[in-house]
Amino acid sequence: MRASRTRTAGVIAVAGVSSVLLAACGSSSSSSTVAASSGTGSAAAASCNGKKIAFVMGAESDPFFQAMKVGATDETAKQGATLIWQGDPKEYSPATQIPVVDQVLAQQPDALVLIPTDPDALQAEVTKAVAANVVVANVDTHVTDLSQVLTFITGDNADGGAKAADAIATAIGYKAGTKYKVVVGLSSETATTNVARLEGFKKAIADKYAGVEIVDVAYSQSKPEVANTNVNNWLTKYPDLNGIFAIDGTNGQGAAAALQAKGLTGKIALVGYDAYPDNVKLIKTGVFTALVAQDPATEARQAVDAVCTKLSGGDVSGIKHEVVIPNVVLDKNSSDADLQKYTYVA
Amino acid sequence: MASTDVKTPDHPVTQVVAPTSRWKTIVGNQQFILLVVWIAMIIGFSLKAPIFFSSGVAGNILLDWAPLVLIALGELIVVISAGIDLSVGATVGFSGVIGAFAMKALTSGGTGTVPTLVVGVLVCVLVGSAVGLINASLINYARLVPFIATLVTLGAASGLSLVLTKGAPIMSGPADAITLVIPWIGPFSKPVIVVVLITGVIWAFLHKARFGRYTYAIGSNAFAARAAGINVKRHITKVYVLSGFLAGLAGFFFYLRLNGGAPTSGLGMELDAIAAVVIGGAALAGGVGRVSGTVLGALILTTVTSGLIIIGVDPQWKRVVVAALIAIAATLQAFRKSEGGAS
Amino acid sequence: MTERGDVIYEVRDLSKRYGAVVALDGANLKLHAGEILGLVGDNGAGKSTLVKCLSGAHQPTSGQILLDGVEREWRSPHDAIEAGVETLYQDSGLAPHLSVSANVFLGREEVKSGILGKMGFLAQKSMDQRAHADLDRVGIAVPASGRSVAQLSGGQRQAVAIGRAVAWASRVIILDEPTNHLGARQAGEVLHVMQRAKEQGLGVIFISHTLPHVLQVTDRVVVLRLGRVVKDAPTSEFNVDTLLGTITGLITE
Repeated sequence: MRASRTRTAGVIAVAGVSSVLLAACGSSSSSSTVAASSGTGSAAAASCNGKKIAFVMGAESDPFFQAMKVGATDETAKQGATLIWQGDPKEYSPATQIPVVDQVLAQQPDALVLIPTDPDALQAEVTKAVAANVVVANVDTHVTDLSQVLTFITGDNADGGAKAADAIATAIGYKAGTKYKVVVGLSSETATTNVARLEGFKKAIADKYAGVEIVDVAYSQSKPEVANTNVNNWLTKYPDLNGIFAIDGTNGQGAAAALQAKGLTGKIALVGYDAYPDNVKLIKTGVFTALVAQDPATEARQAVDAVCTKLSGGDVSGIKHEVVIPNVVLDKNSSDADLQKYTYVA
Repeated sequence: MASTDVKTPDHPVTQVVAPTSRWKTIVGNQQFILLVVWIAMIIGFSLKAPIFFSSGVAGNILLDWAPLVLIALGELIVVISAGIDLSVGATVGFSGVIGAFAMKALTSGGTGTVPTLVVGVLVCVLVGSAVGLINASLINYARLVPFIATLVTLGAASGLSLVLTKGAPIMSGPADAITLVIPWIGPFSKPVIVVVLITGVIWAFLHKARFGRYTYAIGSNAFAARAAGINVKRHITKVYVLSGFLAGLAGFFFYLRLNGGAPTSGLGMELDAIAAVVIGGAALAGGVGRVSGTVLGALILTTVTSGLIIIGVDPQWKRVVVAALIAIAATLQAFRKSEGGAS
Repeated sequence: MTERGDVIYEVRDLSKRYGAVVALDGANLKLHAGEILGLVGDNGAGKSTLVKCLSGAHQPTSGQILLDGVEREWRSPHDAIEAGVETLYQDSGLAPHLSVSANVFLGREEVKSGILGKMGFLAQKSMDQRAHADLDRVGIAVPASGRSVAQLSGGQRQAVAIGRAVAWASRVIILDEPTNHLGARQAGEVLHVMQRAKEQGLGVIFISHTLPHVLQVTDRVVVLRLGRVVKDAPTSEFNVDTLLGTITGLITE
């Protein structure tokens, strides 16, 4: 009798834990559907009435996508459409994204806004969608063959890297003929965003700031403490370091903390990427010299706008095939209005 | 003839046990080898890049070592009891995140730095201990093996961290918290000194007190422990709660270091903890392991990381170095076991 | 031979089920102080189960256990040990990584005095000395207590386990196959230790497959078959053949 009671307790415990796990997974990657709101705005705005628009990305919990969701939710509501928002909460990979796309296509959406985690692996999904008469758009990243894609809207990572180079050069008071040292902290060697930003940075340095040397580059797999260790050691190794380019939010956090701990705030230029609200606050205190902000909400809005025009039979000649939303550099001189506008709000 | 402290009563049950050779004693002393390896590394790195041998680098190494040794000691105790705790890394992140929320709320409410930090550390260790309690309950009552039980909590804790933070770090706590990690005496900052003291306390309880004796006994032969009247389930609970507590403390340490709680903090750290424990001479089968070994194991790991960065080698090579050290340590452990001795 | 005392340990109608399997079916047994009781039976007869119920490791499904005439319930080995019932299990009573003195004091460690003691800090030197003395007293001599038990020979390990049981036992001592893996001389020493325990007034239950040993040292023999007691008689009534026959069922009452 004792044994069966223990076993029952065990089953209950396991069931309890499993349901917590499922809830945890479910609440992020489950489809959040925003009901069509009736009567918002003019008749022309609600051109997408009753249509289903799906967004599928990787690493759904990334604040970049959370900010994108705000724009997507907003615009689909204005257009009277239903939003399906899905993606693996943590992983940015085709292996986890492809099954999600399949799931979503099974719900028969009218349009699919895809943020492909790999340009080739997701090509087949685009073909599948188009064959089922689903209108497809790409945001942030794109598939290799864009011929079937209505429009591709992106922030420009290479441009972001270049703007970061400009920001660092300005902050260190670059003068031709003097030598300077900078380091770059990244998360991943292969993620296209990381690669593009680094390339943009390197090119701008090579073209315009010949005296600047990139002395070290390291990867932190999105772990701020690894970034922190890297920067701590660089600060010891290069006592005359001039600047740090932190390629994303977690690198920014690790680098900012390292500078503060060593009392080097303001003495070394720190340029980060992505306007996490907490990092934006640190611009005011001088910890961050500048932040390169993308505009994921606008990217989402433009995507919804474009697909809605197509779905409602409107004039598609005005839709550009490739749209690049410029990055904005936020620094001490930015107006409060700008800071407000570009900070990623979840 | 038998050693001199054995009398010869009416019915002697004696047999001469062959004395171990000098060579075997030295090889068998894991801590000695680790010390030699560590010093050799320091010398090697310093020769390649003289700036390595400096207070700045020592401070960096200690900053990395402190949270690692905390969870490694928790892992050591679990491993000695013949268990394993895979959830410590996720618990570090999870407790740091919850603590960060608490400290953010207090700071925006106007609470001063010191009380906020006190509440913060309490929240972190409470969350960590709660995870440990769940682990113990899954093992004791749901009859899950430690590997599976702690895998479950690993998933739940890391998943919850992401859900609650939406992927972004939680900051806006006390602004001057980060000044605590600035070195205070030589390369030692105040939190690091606290960690050193905690290490001493754990050493005492593991090697000189009943808590440690029971842990070794359960890992060596759980049946015999129970038969001798030890409440094995209650002790296992203590062991896993302690492991969770230390992970929570490490989470707070990360908070201080990074000025915020990040959901991805600590992910994968359990592998470093296990590596430190194995390199330190513990056996995953239980019953064997010492604090000094784990301390040195953690020092070696963090020294390698900093060293590679300073000499300009891709720090990812650290994984290769660590793998080699684990292989050597495990081989030595197997060798010791076959000779019939415990370290 | 010493005078047999009162009934010290008794089971009445003891049954134990593991799921659908009936391991013990209404067993009855009476052990007197100053008596060595032999418990024999073939594999699967229920000896192990009976031992586990007597030692507190398992709880019987039904029936009673009485110590000194008072009905008791052992919820764990701890309860039985507290009451003075020591058990030597087959093979696995010692923790191999621990030292001799650590094993002897397992579960009953001596702590330092004062506040350190309350925190559980061990009085190591004292335990080492006492362990050595205790084992000596019951006729066991082992080398220095510092090394782990795993480094001792099989016979020495068995000696430590027996010595521990005898040193702590205050009422009853149960020995499950204590002469397994021992050579003739060492087995003889174990039997001698059991006799000394009996002389001290303990009740001894001796489980063994080695029938000559049983006949040599016990006062009574209880035979188990298929979970039931099939014979309970003075040892003098048996020889090897009749004992074997009773065990296998060839000879029935």
